[in-house]
Amino acid sequence: MRRFLTDRHIWLVIVSGGILGTFGVLLAFWGNPEHSGICISCFLENTAGALGLHPDTRMQYLRPELPGFILGAMASALVGKEFKTRGGKAPIFRFMSGFFLLVGCTVFIGCPIKLFLRLTAGDMTVWSGLLGLLVGIGIATRGLTSGVYIDRGETQRGGGGVLVPLLFLFFLLLLFVRPAFILFSERGSAAQHAPVLISLLVALLIGVLAQRSRFCITGALRDLFLIGFRAPLFWGLVAMVLAAVVTSLLTGSFRLGLYGQPGAHFDMFWSFAGMLLVGWMSVLIGGCPFRQLVKAGEGDTDAGMVVLGMLTGAGIVQSWNISATAAGVSFYGQVAVLVGLIFVLTTSLLFRERATA
Amino acid sequence: MFRDFFDRAHWFALGGLVIALFYLLFFSPVDGSTVRKQDKRLELVLQEKARIAFLLETYAPVEELAAAGNRAAALLKLEELERDFPGEAHASILRGSLLLEQGAIAEGIAAYVLGVRQNGDYIDARSLLGRHREITALVEAELPLIKVRVEKSPNSRTWNEALNNIYYLQSRLAGGCE
Repeated sequence: MRRFLTDRHIWLVIVSGGILGTFGVLLAFWGNPEHSGICISCFLENTAGALGLHPDTRMQYLRPELPGFILGAMASALVGKEFKTRGGKAPIFRFMSGFFLLVGCTVFIGCPIKLFLRLTAGDMTVWSGLLGLLVGIGIATRGLTSGVYIDRGETQRGGGGVLVPLLFLFFLLLLFVRPAFILFSERGSAAQHAPVLISLLVALLIGVLAQRSRFCITGALRDLFLIGFRAPLFWGLVAMVLAAVVTSLLTGSFRLGLYGQPGAHFDMFWSFAGMLLVGWMSVLIGGCPFRQLVKAGEGDTDAGMVVLGMLTGAGIVQSWNISATAAGVSFYGQVAVLVGLIFVLTTSLLFRERATA
Repeated sequence: MFRDFFDRAHWFALGGLVIALFYLLFFSPVDGSTVRKQDKRLELVLQEKARIAFLLETYAPVEELAAAGNRAAALLKLEELERDFPGEAHASILRGSLLLEQGAIAEGIAAYVLGVRQNGDYIDARSLLGRHREITALVEAELPLIKVRVEKSPNSRTWNEALNNIYYLQSRLAGGCE
Protein backbone atom coordinates (compact mmCIF):
# COMPACT_ATOMS: atom_id res chain seq x y z
CA MET A 1 0.00 0.00 0.00
CA ARG A 2 2.84 2.40 0.88
CA ARG A 3 4.55 1.59 -2.41
CA PHE A 4 1.27 2.32 -4.17
CA LEU A 5 0.97 5.71 -2.49
CA THR A 6 4.59 6.73 -3.09
CA ASP A 7 4.74 5.56 -6.71
CA ARG A 8 5.17 8.68 -8.87
CA HIS A 9 3.76 6.96 -11.96
CA ILE A 10 0.51 6.07 -10.23
CA TRP A 11 0.02 9.69 -9.20
CA LEU A 12 0.80 10.82 -12.73
CA VAL A 13 -1.87 8.45 -14.04
CA ILE A 14 -4.36 9.68 -11.43
CA VAL A 15 -3.67 13.33 -12.30
CA SER A 16 -4.02 12.55 -16.02
CA GLY A 17 -7.36 10.83 -15.45
CA GLY A 18 -8.55 13.69 -13.25
CA ILE A 19 -7.58 16.33 -15.81
CA LEU A 20 -9.21 14.35 -18.63
CA GLY A 21 -12.46 13.99 -16.66
CA THR A 22 -12.53 17.62 -15.58
CA PHE A 23 -11.83 19.11 -18.99
CA GLY A 24 -14.01 16.51 -20.71
CA VAL A 25 -16.96 18.12 -18.95
CA LEU A 26 -15.66 21.69 -19.07
CA LEU A 27 -15.12 21.70 -22.84
CA ALA A 28 -18.82 20.88 -23.26
CA PHE A 29 -19.64 23.62 -20.75
CA TRP A 30 -17.52 26.03 -22.81
CA GLY A 31 -19.23 25.24 -26.09
CA ASN A 32 -18.63 21.70 -27.37
CA PRO A 33 -21.79 19.59 -27.85
CA GLU A 34 -23.43 18.24 -24.70
CA HIS A 35 -21.64 15.18 -23.26
CA SER A 36 -19.07 15.53 -26.08
CA GLY A 37 -16.46 17.69 -24.41
CA ILE A 38 -14.01 15.06 -25.55
CA CYS A 39 -15.05 12.38 -28.02
CA ILE A 40 -12.48 11.07 -30.45
CA SER A 41 -15.01 9.52 -32.84
CA CYS A 42 -17.24 12.63 -32.94
CA PHE A 43 -14.20 14.85 -33.48
CA LEU A 44 -12.96 12.61 -36.30
CA GLU A 45 -16.40 12.70 -37.96
CA ASN A 46 -16.37 16.51 -37.75
CA THR A 47 -12.83 16.64 -39.15
CA ALA A 48 -13.66 14.26 -42.00
CA GLY A 49 -16.66 16.45 -42.84
CA ALA A 50 -14.56 19.61 -42.85
CA LEU A 51 -12.15 17.93 -45.27
CA GLY A 52 -15.05 17.08 -47.57
CA LEU A 53 -14.99 13.34 -46.86
CA HIS A 54 -18.71 13.24 -46.12
CA PRO A 55 -21.67 15.42 -47.14
CA ASP A 56 -23.40 16.00 -43.77
CA THR A 57 -23.43 19.78 -43.51
CA ARG A 58 -24.15 19.57 -39.78
CA MET A 59 -20.96 17.62 -39.01
CA GLN A 60 -18.16 19.71 -40.51
CA TYR A 61 -15.55 21.33 -38.29
CA LEU A 62 -11.80 20.92 -37.87
CA ARG A 63 -11.71 20.14 -34.16
CA PRO A 64 -8.47 21.56 -32.71
CA GLU A 65 -8.51 18.97 -29.93
CA LEU A 66 -7.24 16.21 -32.27
CA PRO A 67 -4.04 18.02 -33.36
CA GLY A 68 -3.70 19.12 -29.73
CA PHE A 69 -3.64 15.56 -28.41
CA ILE A 70 -1.18 14.39 -31.06
CA LEU A 71 1.16 17.39 -30.93
CA GLY A 72 1.09 17.47 -27.12
CA ALA A 73 2.07 13.82 -27.06
CA MET A 74 4.77 14.45 -29.66
CA ALA A 75 6.25 17.37 -27.69
CA SER A 76 6.23 15.30 -24.53
CA ALA A 77 7.85 12.33 -26.29
CA LEU A 78 10.54 14.56 -27.81
CA VAL A 79 11.36 16.17 -24.46
CA GLY A 80 11.40 12.79 -22.74
CA LYS A 81 13.55 11.35 -25.58
CA GLU A 82 10.84 8.77 -26.26
CA PHE A 83 9.94 9.86 -29.76
CA LYS A 84 10.92 7.02 -32.04
CA THR A 85 9.66 5.98 -35.44
CA ARG A 86 8.49 2.43 -34.89
CA GLY A 87 5.95 0.14 -36.53
CA GLY A 88 5.62 -1.85 -39.71
CA LYS A 89 3.58 -4.78 -38.43
CA ALA A 90 0.30 -5.62 -40.18
CA PRO A 91 -0.38 -2.09 -41.48
CA ILE A 92 -3.49 -2.93 -43.52
CA PHE A 93 -4.96 -4.85 -40.63
CA ARG A 94 -4.40 -1.81 -38.41
CA PHE A 95 -5.99 0.50 -40.97
CA MET A 96 -9.07 -1.72 -41.09
CA SER A 97 -9.09 -1.92 -37.29
CA GLY A 98 -9.24 1.86 -37.18
CA PHE A 99 -12.16 1.79 -39.58
CA PHE A 100 -14.12 -0.71 -37.47
CA LEU A 101 -13.26 1.14 -34.25
CA LEU A 102 -15.09 4.12 -35.74
CA VAL A 103 -18.01 1.92 -36.77
CA GLY A 104 -18.40 0.60 -33.22
CA CYS A 105 -18.07 4.06 -31.69
CA THR A 106 -20.54 5.74 -34.01
CA VAL A 107 -23.15 3.01 -33.58
CA PHE A 108 -22.94 3.59 -29.83
CA ILE A 109 -22.58 7.39 -30.41
CA GLY A 110 -19.23 8.01 -28.78
CA CYS A 111 -15.78 6.66 -28.04
CA PRO A 112 -14.91 5.04 -24.68
CA ILE A 113 -14.03 8.46 -23.20
CA LYS A 114 -17.45 9.79 -24.16
CA LEU A 115 -19.05 6.64 -22.76
CA PHE A 116 -17.70 7.59 -19.33
CA LEU A 117 -18.52 11.28 -19.81
CA ARG A 118 -22.11 10.33 -20.67
CA LEU A 119 -22.28 7.99 -17.69
CA THR A 120 -20.91 10.58 -15.28
CA ALA A 121 -23.41 13.15 -16.58
CA GLY A 122 -26.23 10.83 -15.54
CA ASP A 123 -27.05 9.26 -18.92
CA MET A 124 -28.45 5.86 -18.03
CA THR A 125 -28.69 4.68 -21.65
CA VAL A 126 -24.96 3.93 -21.66
CA TRP A 127 -25.12 0.86 -19.40
CA SER A 128 -25.51 -1.54 -22.29
CA GLY A 129 -22.53 0.09 -24.03
CA LEU A 130 -20.44 -0.16 -20.88
CA LEU A 131 -21.36 -3.81 -20.53
CA GLY A 132 -20.41 -4.37 -24.18
CA LEU A 133 -17.07 -2.63 -23.66
CA LEU A 134 -16.29 -4.78 -20.62
CA VAL A 135 -17.28 -8.00 -22.39
CA GLY A 136 -15.21 -7.03 -25.45
CA ILE A 137 -12.17 -6.27 -23.31
CA GLY A 138 -12.74 -9.49 -21.37
CA ILE A 139 -12.86 -11.60 -24.54
CA ALA A 140 -9.80 -9.87 -25.98
CA THR A 141 -7.88 -10.32 -22.72
CA ARG A 142 -8.74 -14.01 -22.79
CA GLY A 143 -7.48 -13.99 -26.37
CA LEU A 144 -4.19 -12.43 -25.30
CA THR A 145 -3.65 -15.15 -22.72
CA SER A 146 -4.50 -17.76 -25.36
CA GLY A 147 -1.85 -16.58 -27.77
CA VAL A 148 -3.64 -13.99 -29.92
CA TYR A 149 -0.82 -11.60 -30.56
CA ILE A 150 -0.29 -8.88 -33.12
CA ASP A 151 3.42 -8.18 -33.38
CA ARG A 152 4.65 -4.94 -31.93
CA GLY A 153 6.40 -2.78 -34.50
CA GLU A 154 10.13 -2.39 -34.65
CA THR A 155 12.22 0.75 -34.87
CA GLN A 156 12.12 2.00 -38.44
CA ARG A 157 14.39 4.09 -40.60
CA GLY A 158 13.14 7.10 -42.53
CA GLY A 159 11.42 9.17 -39.87
CA GLY A 160 7.92 8.14 -40.96
CA GLY A 161 6.71 8.67 -37.41
CA VAL A 162 6.47 12.42 -37.95
CA LEU A 163 4.03 12.12 -40.85
CA VAL A 164 0.79 11.71 -38.89
CA PRO A 165 1.69 14.52 -36.45
CA LEU A 166 2.56 16.68 -39.47
CA LEU A 167 -0.77 15.84 -41.10
CA PHE A 168 -2.64 16.97 -38.00
CA LEU A 169 -0.44 20.07 -37.73
CA PHE A 170 -1.56 20.80 -41.29
CA PHE A 171 -5.22 20.38 -40.21
CA LEU A 172 -4.56 22.87 -37.42
CA LEU A 173 -3.13 25.36 -39.92
CA LEU A 174 -6.21 24.86 -42.11
CA LEU A 175 -8.40 25.69 -39.11
CA PHE A 176 -6.68 29.04 -38.70
CA VAL A 177 -6.21 29.87 -42.42
CA ARG A 178 -9.71 28.61 -43.40
CA PRO A 179 -9.18 28.11 -47.13
CA ALA A 180 -12.33 27.92 -49.27
CA PHE A 181 -12.17 24.15 -49.74
CA ILE A 182 -12.47 23.47 -46.00
CA LEU A 183 -16.06 23.28 -44.80
CA PHE A 184 -17.43 24.59 -41.52
CA SER A 185 -20.96 23.87 -40.35
CA GLU A 186 -23.08 26.85 -39.41
CA ARG A 187 -25.65 24.70 -37.62
CA GLY A 188 -25.85 21.29 -36.00
CA SER A 189 -23.46 19.79 -33.49
CA ALA A 190 -20.33 20.74 -35.46
CA ALA A 191 -21.27 24.41 -35.14
CA GLN A 192 -21.00 24.00 -31.37
CA HIS A 193 -17.46 24.35 -30.14
CA ALA A 194 -15.45 25.77 -27.29
CA PRO A 195 -13.12 28.71 -28.14
CA VAL A 196 -10.39 27.40 -30.43
CA LEU A 197 -7.41 28.44 -28.31
CA ILE A 198 -8.90 27.03 -25.13
CA SER A 199 -9.63 23.70 -26.87
CA LEU A 200 -6.14 23.60 -28.28
CA LEU A 201 -4.38 24.41 -25.00
CA VAL A 202 -6.46 21.89 -23.07
CA ALA A 203 -5.78 19.21 -25.69
CA LEU A 204 -2.04 19.94 -25.67
CA LEU A 205 -2.00 19.55 -21.87
CA ILE A 206 -3.97 16.30 -22.05
CA GLY A 207 -1.72 15.04 -24.86
CA VAL A 208 1.39 15.67 -22.73
CA LEU A 209 -0.10 13.99 -19.65
CA ALA A 210 -1.46 11.04 -21.61
CA GLN A 211 1.92 10.45 -23.22
CA ARG A 212 3.74 10.52 -19.87
CA SER A 213 1.16 8.39 -18.07
CA ARG A 214 0.14 6.05 -20.96
CA PHE A 215 -3.47 6.69 -19.96
CA CYS A 216 -5.98 4.62 -21.90
CA ILE A 217 -9.58 3.71 -21.11
CA THR A 218 -9.54 0.19 -22.51
CA GLY A 219 -5.99 -0.33 -21.23
CA ALA A 220 -7.23 0.50 -17.72
CA LEU A 221 -10.01 -2.08 -17.92
CA ARG A 222 -7.74 -4.66 -19.56
CA ASP A 223 -5.20 -4.25 -16.74
CA LEU A 224 -8.01 -4.57 -14.21
CA PHE A 225 -8.86 -7.98 -15.72
CA LEU A 226 -5.22 -9.02 -15.86
CA ILE A 227 -3.73 -7.77 -12.58
CA GLY A 228 -6.67 -6.54 -10.55
CA PHE A 229 -6.78 -3.39 -8.48
CA ARG A 230 -2.99 -3.00 -8.50
CA ALA A 231 -3.29 -1.68 -12.08
CA PRO A 232 -2.28 2.03 -12.04
CA LEU A 233 -4.33 2.79 -15.17
CA PHE A 234 -7.47 1.60 -13.43
CA TRP A 235 -6.97 4.24 -10.72
CA GLY A 236 -6.55 6.81 -13.47
CA LEU A 237 -9.93 5.77 -14.81
CA VAL A 238 -11.43 6.02 -11.31
CA ALA A 239 -9.95 9.54 -11.00
CA MET A 240 -11.42 10.47 -14.39
CA VAL A 241 -14.88 9.24 -13.41
CA LEU A 242 -14.82 11.03 -10.03
CA ALA A 243 -13.52 14.28 -11.56
CA ALA A 244 -16.15 14.16 -14.30
CA VAL A 245 -18.99 13.54 -11.81
CA VAL A 246 -17.87 16.42 -9.57
CA THR A 247 -17.42 18.79 -12.53
CA SER A 248 -20.79 17.77 -14.01
CA LEU A 249 -22.48 18.51 -10.68
CA LEU A 250 -20.68 21.84 -10.30
CA THR A 251 -21.49 22.99 -13.83
CA GLY A 252 -25.10 21.84 -13.60
CA SER A 253 -24.76 19.43 -16.51
CA PHE A 254 -25.56 16.35 -14.42
CA ARG A 255 -29.00 15.02 -15.21
CA LEU A 256 -29.74 11.51 -14.06
CA GLY A 257 -32.17 9.66 -16.27
CA LEU A 258 -32.91 7.43 -19.19
CA TYR A 259 -34.94 9.80 -21.34
CA GLY A 260 -34.13 13.07 -23.06
CA GLN A 261 -30.38 12.54 -22.90
CA PRO A 262 -28.33 14.30 -25.60
CA GLY A 263 -26.89 12.12 -28.37
CA ALA A 264 -28.34 8.89 -27.00
CA HIS A 265 -30.59 6.15 -28.34
CA PHE A 266 -32.47 3.17 -26.97
CA ASP A 267 -31.14 0.44 -29.27
CA MET A 268 -29.49 -1.21 -26.29
CA PHE A 269 -28.46 -4.37 -28.10
CA TRP A 270 -26.64 -2.42 -30.79
CA SER A 271 -24.99 -0.14 -28.22
CA PHE A 272 -23.76 -3.30 -26.56
CA ALA A 273 -22.54 -4.77 -29.85
CA GLY A 274 -20.86 -1.53 -30.96
CA MET A 275 -18.91 -1.19 -27.75
CA LEU A 276 -18.14 -4.92 -27.71
CA LEU A 277 -16.42 -4.36 -31.04
CA VAL A 278 -14.55 -1.30 -29.74
CA GLY A 279 -13.37 -3.01 -26.54
CA TRP A 280 -12.26 -6.15 -28.33
CA MET A 281 -10.49 -4.32 -31.13
CA SER A 282 -8.82 -1.79 -28.82
CA VAL A 283 -7.16 -4.47 -26.72
CA LEU A 284 -5.91 -6.30 -29.80
CA ILE A 285 -4.28 -3.19 -31.25
CA GLY A 286 -2.97 -1.86 -27.95
CA GLY A 287 -5.27 1.00 -27.02
CA CYS A 288 -8.53 2.89 -27.34
CA PRO A 289 -9.00 5.54 -30.07
CA PHE A 290 -7.54 8.22 -27.77
CA ARG A 291 -4.46 6.11 -26.99
CA GLN A 292 -3.94 5.52 -30.74
CA LEU A 293 -3.73 9.29 -31.27
CA VAL A 294 -1.21 9.64 -28.44
CA LYS A 295 0.89 6.75 -29.74
CA ALA A 296 0.81 8.25 -33.24
CA GLY A 297 2.24 11.39 -31.65
CA GLU A 298 5.10 9.33 -30.22
CA GLY A 299 6.12 8.20 -33.70
CA ASP A 300 4.27 4.88 -33.71
CA THR A 301 3.39 4.35 -37.36
CA ASP A 302 1.17 1.36 -36.53
CA ALA A 303 -0.99 3.66 -34.40
CA GLY A 304 -0.72 6.18 -37.24
CA MET A 305 -2.31 3.62 -39.57
CA VAL A 306 -5.14 3.12 -37.06
CA VAL A 307 -5.64 6.90 -36.95
CA LEU A 308 -5.80 7.08 -40.74
CA GLY A 309 -8.25 4.15 -40.74
CA MET A 310 -10.39 5.98 -38.18
CA LEU A 311 -10.34 9.17 -40.25
CA THR A 312 -11.39 7.25 -43.36
CA GLY A 313 -14.05 5.44 -41.34
CA ALA A 314 -15.31 8.78 -40.02
CA GLY A 315 -16.06 9.86 -43.58
CA ILE A 316 -17.62 6.55 -44.59
CA VAL A 317 -19.90 6.10 -41.54
CA GLN A 318 -21.53 9.43 -42.31
CA SER A 319 -21.70 8.96 -46.09
CA TRP A 320 -23.11 5.44 -45.86
CA ASN A 321 -25.58 6.16 -43.03
CA ILE A 322 -23.77 3.79 -40.67
CA SER A 323 -23.59 6.10 -37.67
CA ALA A 324 -26.46 6.05 -35.20
CA THR A 325 -28.64 9.01 -34.25
CA ALA A 326 -31.02 9.67 -31.39
CA ALA A 327 -33.59 7.81 -33.53
CA GLY A 328 -31.52 4.62 -33.25
CA VAL A 329 -29.14 2.48 -35.26
CA SER A 330 -29.71 2.26 -39.00
CA PHE A 331 -29.83 -1.00 -40.92
CA TYR A 332 -26.40 -0.19 -42.41
CA GLY A 333 -25.03 0.47 -38.92
CA GLN A 334 -26.24 -2.94 -37.76
CA VAL A 335 -24.69 -4.64 -40.79
CA ALA A 336 -21.38 -2.77 -40.29
CA VAL A 337 -21.14 -3.83 -36.63
CA LEU A 338 -21.71 -7.46 -37.55
CA VAL A 339 -19.08 -7.25 -40.29
CA GLY A 340 -16.72 -5.66 -37.73
CA LEU A 341 -17.30 -8.52 -35.30
CA ILE A 342 -16.64 -11.03 -38.10
CA PHE A 343 -13.40 -9.12 -38.84
CA VAL A 344 -12.23 -9.19 -35.23
CA LEU A 345 -13.10 -12.88 -34.82
CA THR A 346 -11.20 -13.77 -37.98
CA THR A 347 -8.29 -11.67 -36.79
CA SER A 348 -8.19 -13.52 -33.49
CA LEU A 349 -8.01 -16.82 -35.36
CA LEU A 350 -5.40 -15.69 -37.87
CA PHE A 351 -3.12 -13.91 -35.39
CA ARG A 352 -3.14 -16.68 -32.80
CA GLU A 353 0.23 -18.22 -32.08
CA ARG A 354 -0.26 -21.93 -31.55
CA ALA A 355 2.19 -24.29 -29.95
CA THR A 356 3.68 -26.61 -32.55
CA ALA A 357 3.24 -30.30 -31.84
CA MET B 1 23.46 13.63 -44.35
CA PHE B 2 25.74 16.22 -45.99
CA ARG B 3 28.45 13.75 -46.91
CA ASP B 4 28.68 13.80 -50.67
CA PHE B 5 27.32 15.41 -53.80
CA PHE B 6 24.16 13.26 -53.73
CA ASP B 7 23.20 14.47 -50.23
CA ARG B 8 24.08 18.08 -50.95
CA ALA B 9 22.10 18.11 -54.22
CA HIS B 10 19.04 16.80 -52.40
CA TRP B 11 19.35 19.44 -49.67
CA PHE B 12 19.80 22.14 -52.29
CA ALA B 13 16.69 21.00 -54.21
CA LEU B 14 14.73 20.69 -50.97
CA GLY B 15 15.60 24.25 -49.96
CA GLY B 16 14.62 25.54 -53.41
CA LEU B 17 11.26 23.76 -53.31
CA VAL B 18 10.43 25.02 -49.80
CA ILE B 19 11.14 28.60 -50.94
CA ALA B 20 9.01 28.06 -54.08
CA LEU B 21 6.14 26.67 -52.01
CA PHE B 22 6.37 29.57 -49.56
CA TYR B 23 6.27 32.05 -52.48
CA LEU B 24 3.35 30.23 -54.10
CA LEU B 25 1.34 30.21 -50.89
CA PHE B 26 1.91 33.74 -49.75
CA PHE B 27 2.97 35.95 -52.68
CA SER B 28 1.65 34.59 -55.98
CA PRO B 29 -1.55 36.11 -57.41
CA VAL B 30 -4.52 33.73 -57.05
CA ASP B 31 -5.82 32.36 -60.32
CA GLY B 32 -9.53 33.14 -60.70
CA SER B 33 -10.41 29.77 -62.22
CA THR B 34 -8.85 27.98 -59.24
CA VAL B 35 -10.97 29.99 -56.83
CA ARG B 36 -14.16 29.07 -58.66
CA LYS B 37 -13.32 25.39 -58.63
CA GLN B 38 -12.35 25.34 -54.98
CA ASP B 39 -15.02 27.51 -53.43
CA LYS B 40 -17.10 24.64 -52.15
CA ARG B 41 -18.20 26.58 -49.09
CA LEU B 42 -19.82 29.32 -51.20
CA GLU B 43 -21.60 26.66 -53.26
CA LEU B 44 -23.04 25.10 -50.12
CA VAL B 45 -24.20 28.46 -48.75
CA LEU B 46 -25.90 29.27 -52.05
CA GLN B 47 -27.54 25.84 -52.17
CA GLU B 48 -28.88 26.30 -48.65
CA LYS B 49 -30.21 29.81 -49.33
CA ALA B 50 -31.83 28.62 -52.55
CA ARG B 51 -33.37 25.66 -50.73
CA ILE B 52 -34.88 27.88 -48.05
CA ALA B 53 -36.24 30.34 -50.62
CA PHE B 54 -37.71 27.47 -52.63
CA LEU B 55 -39.39 25.90 -49.59
CA LEU B 56 -40.84 29.18 -48.36
CA GLU B 57 -42.19 29.99 -51.80
CA THR B 58 -43.51 26.48 -52.56
CA TYR B 59 -45.24 25.99 -49.23
CA ALA B 60 -46.53 29.60 -48.95
CA PRO B 61 -50.08 28.61 -50.04
CA VAL B 62 -50.24 26.09 -47.18
CA GLU B 63 -49.10 28.70 -44.68
CA GLU B 64 -51.61 31.21 -46.05
CA LEU B 65 -54.53 28.77 -45.77
CA ALA B 66 -53.46 27.86 -42.23
CA ALA B 67 -53.18 31.54 -41.28
CA ALA B 68 -56.71 32.08 -42.60
CA GLY B 69 -57.88 29.31 -40.28
CA ASN B 70 -58.65 26.90 -43.13
CA ARG B 71 -56.61 23.97 -41.78
CA ALA B 72 -58.42 21.21 -43.72
CA ALA B 73 -57.71 22.97 -47.02
CA ALA B 74 -54.13 23.55 -45.90
CA LEU B 75 -53.70 19.82 -45.25
CA LEU B 76 -55.15 19.01 -48.69
CA LYS B 77 -52.77 21.47 -50.34
CA LEU B 78 -49.91 19.90 -48.39
CA GLU B 79 -50.85 16.45 -49.71
CA GLU B 80 -50.92 17.82 -53.23
CA LEU B 81 -47.43 19.26 -52.80
CA GLU B 82 -46.16 16.05 -51.24
CA ARG B 83 -47.01 14.21 -54.43
CA ASP B 84 -44.60 16.51 -56.25
CA PHE B 85 -41.91 16.53 -53.54
CA PRO B 86 -42.17 13.33 -51.47
CA GLY B 87 -40.03 12.96 -48.36
CA GLU B 88 -39.58 16.67 -47.82
CA ALA B 89 -39.00 17.53 -44.15
CA HIS B 90 -40.64 20.93 -44.45
CA ALA B 91 -43.94 19.29 -45.36
CA SER B 92 -43.73 16.98 -42.34
CA ILE B 93 -43.11 19.92 -40.01
CA LEU B 94 -46.03 21.88 -41.49
CA ARG B 95 -48.26 18.81 -41.18
CA GLY B 96 -47.22 18.45 -37.53
CA SER B 97 -48.10 22.05 -36.84
CA LEU B 98 -51.51 21.76 -38.56
CA LEU B 99 -52.40 18.48 -36.83
CA LEU B 100 -51.53 19.89 -33.42
CA GLU B 101 -53.73 22.90 -34.10
CA GLN B 102 -56.53 20.47 -34.94
CA GLY B 103 -55.98 18.65 -31.66
CA ALA B 104 -54.49 15.48 -33.17
CA ILE B 105 -51.65 15.38 -30.63
CA ALA B 106 -50.14 11.94 -31.25
CA GLU B 107 -50.24 12.35 -35.05
CA GLY B 108 -48.84 15.88 -34.83
CA ILE B 109 -45.90 14.76 -32.70
CA ALA B 110 -45.23 11.86 -35.09
CA ALA B 111 -45.12 14.31 -38.01
CA TYR B 112 -42.65 16.54 -36.15
CA VAL B 113 -40.45 13.51 -35.40
CA LEU B 114 -40.49 12.53 -39.06
CA GLY B 115 -39.52 16.07 -40.10
CA VAL B 116 -36.65 16.28 -37.60
CA ARG B 117 -35.37 12.85 -38.63
CA GLN B 118 -35.49 13.91 -42.29
CA ASN B 119 -33.63 17.14 -41.58
CA GLY B 120 -32.01 18.01 -38.25
CA ASP B 121 -32.08 21.72 -39.11
CA TYR B 122 -35.67 21.92 -37.84
CA ILE B 123 -34.59 21.29 -34.24
CA ASP B 124 -31.74 23.78 -34.49
CA ALA B 125 -32.04 27.22 -32.93
CA ARG B 126 -29.47 28.61 -35.39
CA SER B 127 -31.15 27.43 -38.57
CA LEU B 128 -33.38 29.74 -40.58
CA LEU B 129 -35.87 26.89 -40.88
CA GLY B 130 -35.51 25.97 -37.19
CA ARG B 131 -38.57 25.32 -35.05
CA HIS B 132 -36.59 25.03 -31.83
CA ARG B 133 -38.87 27.23 -29.74
CA GLU B 134 -42.03 25.60 -31.08
CA ILE B 135 -40.76 22.06 -30.46
CA THR B 136 -39.48 22.99 -26.97
CA ALA B 137 -42.92 24.32 -26.09
CA LEU B 138 -44.53 21.18 -27.51
CA VAL B 139 -42.31 18.87 -25.43
CA GLU B 140 -42.80 20.89 -22.25
CA ALA B 141 -46.57 21.00 -22.66
CA GLU B 142 -47.27 17.48 -23.91
CA LEU B 143 -44.73 15.25 -22.14
CA PRO B 144 -46.44 15.32 -18.71
CA LEU B 145 -49.88 14.88 -20.29
CA ILE B 146 -48.80 11.93 -22.43
CA LYS B 147 -47.15 10.28 -19.42
CA VAL B 148 -50.47 10.48 -17.58
CA ARG B 149 -52.29 9.01 -20.59
CA VAL B 150 -49.84 6.11 -20.77
CA GLU B 151 -50.22 5.48 -17.04
CA LYS B 152 -53.98 5.39 -17.44
CA SER B 153 -53.89 3.10 -20.49
CA PRO B 154 -50.53 1.30 -20.48
CA ASN B 155 -51.53 -0.90 -23.41
CA SER B 156 -52.45 1.96 -25.73
CA ARG B 157 -50.20 1.66 -28.74
CA THR B 158 -50.96 5.22 -29.86
CA TRP B 159 -49.91 6.85 -26.60
CA ASN B 160 -46.89 4.60 -26.09
CA GLU B 161 -45.67 5.57 -29.55
CA ALA B 162 -46.38 9.23 -28.80
CA LEU B 163 -44.35 8.94 -25.59
CA ASN B 164 -41.40 7.42 -27.46
CA ASN B 165 -41.69 10.14 -30.09
CA ILE B 166 -41.72 12.93 -27.56
CA TYR B 167 -38.69 11.40 -25.80
CA TYR B 168 -36.93 11.48 -29.16
CA LEU B 169 -37.70 15.19 -29.56
CA GLN B 170 -36.56 15.81 -25.98
CA SER B 171 -33.28 14.03 -26.68
CA ARG B 172 -32.71 16.05 -29.86
CA LEU B 173 -33.46 19.29 -28.01
CA ALA B 174 -30.85 18.31 -25.40
CA GLY B 175 -28.22 18.55 -28.15
CA GLY B 176 -25.16 16.32 -28.19
CA CYS B 177 -23.29 14.88 -31.12
CA GLU B 178 -25.43 13.64 -34.01
